[in-house]
Amino acid sequence: MGQGGEPRRAQAYDGELGAAVARAQDGDESAFAVAYRIVQPGLLGYLRGIVGDDAEDVASDAWLEIARDLGRFKGDGAGFRGWTATIARHRALDHLRRLRVRPRAAALEHEVVMDLPGPHTTHDQALESLSTARALELVRGLPRDQAEAVLLRVVVGLDGPAAARVLGKRPGAVRTAAHRGLKRLARQLGVTDTNGRGVTDDGPRTLGESK
Amino acid sequence: MGERLNDGGEPVRRRPHPAGTGPAADTVDQELEALLAEVLRVTGGPVAPPAGSEGELRAVAAFRAARDAGAHTARTRRRDDWRPRTRRSAARSLRATLSVAVASLALGGVAFAAIGSAGGDPADAKRPERSASASEGRSQAPSLTPSPAAPGTPAGRDRPVTAEDTAAHCRAYERVKDRGRALDSTAWQRLVTAAGGEENVEAYCAARTASAENDGGANGKGNGKSNGTGGTTDKGGQQAGKTPKGNAGKQ
Repeated sequence: MGQGGEPRRAQAYDGELGAAVARAQDGDESAFAVAYRIVQPGLLGYLRGIVGDDAEDVASDAWLEIARDLGRFKGDGAGFRGWTATIARHRALDHLRRLRVRPRAAALEHEVVMDLPGPHTTHDQALESLSTARALELVRGLPRDQAEAVLLRVVVGLDGPAAARVLGKRPGAVRTAAHRGLKRLARQLGVTDTNGRGVTDDGPRTLGESK
Repeated sequence: MGERLNDGGEPVRRRPHPAGTGPAADTVDQELEALLAEVLRVTGGPVAPPAGSEGELRAVAAFRAARDAGAHTARTRRRDDWRPRTRRSAARSLRATLSVAVASLALGGVAFAAIGSAGGDPADAKRPERSASASEGRSQAPSLTPSPAAPGTPAGRDRPVTAEDTAAHCRAYERVKDRGRALDSTAWQRLVTAAGGEENVEAYCAARTASAENDGGANGKGNGKSNGTGGTTDKGGQQAGKTPKGNAGKQ
């Protein structure tokens, strides 16, 4: 895993990110700003999936902690994504605990499926019909372990082991959760892959891989 | 887990992903991930904030404050170490294996020691009472139950034998005392010593026989007496054990 489009894109920035973090750890505040601009979009997308509209506030809290503890961090650009995602996740869980509200509506899935147009044969068609808000709604409609696994993989751009570390779970469990979440999203989107076969027929392929 | 139920093993799925084979060769998960990434992040999703955004300024201000306060020299905790894990995890798994081995040895030793001490318990004969009182109150058990058991056990076995011997010797003494050298044998010497002199033997024996008869026969003298006291002590111990329990139950 980790060869998907988004992780690859995230990795393209990882060299730059790692260098910025290293300079920031030496005290360069403009380098810290660079790291912020690279990391913040993924972090915010992940947080939107957990806390919805409060994501900006939670991200702001998380960045205060990141700025404070930056000297403790050890690792490269990819590691920095994981480290910051862990901090953001803790802040998000604190936030949810304060709210004492479940972040998702359980009935979401059904309504969304009703709203969607008929089956698409290509991802482009699915993509055209899908707004960002709807996609986020869909992801938030997943059980939280699946939603978090998908978001960490897709939006933050972590690889399997890093996502597992953020979630405090075994890599296998996170792979399974990500797969189930994606499968469910595909069903909701009515996506079939290019062979015309429904993706929902697929077994948890990743489980066959030993890690 | 591990099911590959779909229409007969597609080689496409298990192929690694060489460059240039296009998205069709990619796995479904990866296509979906790419799709979602497009939607969530690129197409009007949370885009990279412009330089100098409010959030950035706040974060940089916090960074500056922490740096100037010297917070950036803080020690790295394990959760802050995101370096590639190959060597670290190997070292950690070795450490984990060793600590598990040490722990199992230590626990095994404790268990073995516990077995040894339980097997060597001198109060084995009193086990039912012991467990009963132990269940009544753990703090009572060690102090109360051994105390009747420890003196009770030797008393129950040794004293009757001696008392029986003494009684028998006394009876025989009546018959034997006038017959010359019979009194030189070890048994008689012991009786004489116990009585405190040959002239005291009759008084000694009289006292013994009298007390044995009070207890219901020369034979049962020692046994009856010591068992009786042992039993009383045991009851006392049990009552003492029960009283705190009753109180504790009411509180």
